Amino acid sequence: MSASAIRTSARGSLAALYRLLLRTQITVPRLVGIATLGALSVIIGVFARWDSDPSQAAADAVSSYGLGLVVPLAALWLGTSAIGDLVDDRLLVYLWLKPVPRWQLPAAGVLATATVVVPLAALPVAATALAAGANDVALPALLAASLAGFAYAGVFVAAGFWFRRAAWWGLAFVLLWENAVANLAEGSARLTVVGWANSVLATAPDVEVTPSAGSATVAFIVLPAVAVTGWLVATWRYQRADID
Amino acid sequence: MAAPIEPRVVAEGVSKWFGALVAVSDISFDVGAGVTALLGPNGAGKSTMLRMLCGLARPSQGSVRALGRDPRTDTSVTRLIGLVPQQESVFEPLTAHRFVALAATLHGVPEPGAAAARMLETVDLDPTDPRKLPAYSKGMRQRVKVAQAIVHDPHVLVLDEPLTGLDPRQRADMVALFRRLGSEGRCVIVSSHVLDEVERLGSQILVMSQGRLAAAGDFHELRALMDDRPLRVRVRTDRPREVAGALLEGGTAVGVRLDGDDAFELDTNDARALAHALAPVARDRGARLFEVHPLDADLEGVFRYVVER
Repeated sequence: MSASAIRTSARGSLAALYRLLLRTQITVPRLVGIATLGALSVIIGVFARWDSDPSQAAADAVSSYGLGLVVPLAALWLGTSAIGDLVDDRLLVYLWLKPVPRWQLPAAGVLATATVVVPLAALPVAATALAAGANDVALPALLAASLAGFAYAGVFVAAGFWFRRAAWWGLAFVLLWENAVANLAEGSARLTVVGWANSVLATAPDVEVTPSAGSATVAFIVLPAVAVTGWLVATWRYQRADID
Repeated sequence: MAAPIEPRVVAEGVSKWFGALVAVSDISFDVGAGVTALLGPNGAGKSTMLRMLCGLARPSQGSVRALGRDPRTDTSVTRLIGLVPQQESVFEPLTAHRFVALAATLHGVPEPGAAAARMLETVDLDPTDPRKLPAYSKGMRQRVKVAQAIVHDPHVLVLDEPLTGLDPRQRADMVALFRRLGSEGRCVIVSSHVLDEVERLGSQILVMSQGRLAAAGDFHELRALMDDRPLRVRVRTDRPREVAGALLEGGTAVGVRLDGDDAFELDTNDARALAHALAPVARDRGARLFEVHPLDADLEGVFRYVVER
């Protein structure tokens, strides 16, 4: 097979896996659940409009509820199921025994998860700022939520490979690590996705966001790096695991 | 010009353990083109062995070569292997056609949609059926799994209990399909725990019991060995004394023991002869048969006998 034919075949298999995972991930309960989380975020934004400092109130809502809960929970729900459901349902056998590079399935999982998380979770988080009348906060919120969505997608897709009942493990991660550890001490936010997402949010004018991990420039590197690390870990695991 | 690939699967000293549990113990065999049946009771280690043959699981010890390559590490060899796994689960949001077309796409088959349609017709399913897979019966899903395993025209086909859930006509069709695939030069390995199923599948047989290879070779020789073993049967009838006596007198039974007023147990060396003689003997003596129950006819019993021989 020629090099171009192999490239075409690789693109075709990645697209096929992506479409498959998107189909298996998107269920009515999941969409309703994530949309409800997003809608609540927007409602919180509406209430922030009456605050004496709507921009700060919007940033607080985006940081604590949007980036702290909506985005990670949406990514958790979808990311752990992307591959985790295939493992639990013993369906991985149909994909493993194909002449497809091993990196493609985890990549398709991360991409499929992000495809749903960005419109259903990141957009409502940005809409929270708009609902609060803090238009200047909306774009940083969208960027922060989208980058965090990608990062969490990588983390939770990898978790789906590693753990049975990965959703419970992920819930503990979101509540204990991402929310508790981020606020534990100065600098601990650097160990969390939400801390770096807050750094992006903090580029909005006239708002203060805590806990923040560092500069936005570094955040633009760290958050995609987390997604890539998750993808690599998942690939490593997929290459070595016995398939049931 | 490259030499043609020989459809051959070789296992050398293969063992697999999970912690303290030994699932497969020191198994070696070499199978080539044609149908080879892997027979053994549930829990014998057949599925684990088949998973290792496909590369899905790494042997704890020993090695597996499929088409001369290691299926665990050489992704390209999976292009030449087809598998029907034992599990019933399928991708729920997909139709049968999409499921088989997905397999074709991932195998790089040209025109995957058309190939999927052809394969579904081969297993007697309608490629235009709009229903999702969960709406299919168990037998239909089983045939879909076969279609996805052969859509890329593999050199090695591994089927783990593929006849489960099929009705007699579908079983016959599937057996004919497997035999045809084998006769066309593919290496077809089919596992089953049903002796009669294996009889129809092919002449070569591997018998597994408790993780070990208990026997290997020609099925008919093995079958004769199995049929010759002593068999104990419990018969419930309203005239146990008369029927038992006649069977003993006719030589069909080599020993009898009365069990109350309505039953007896007999030992026979020829199960087929007993099957032919019992009903006429009962009829001639005006006896009614309520139950005929082999006491040690389960596969474990058969395998124990074969292994002990």
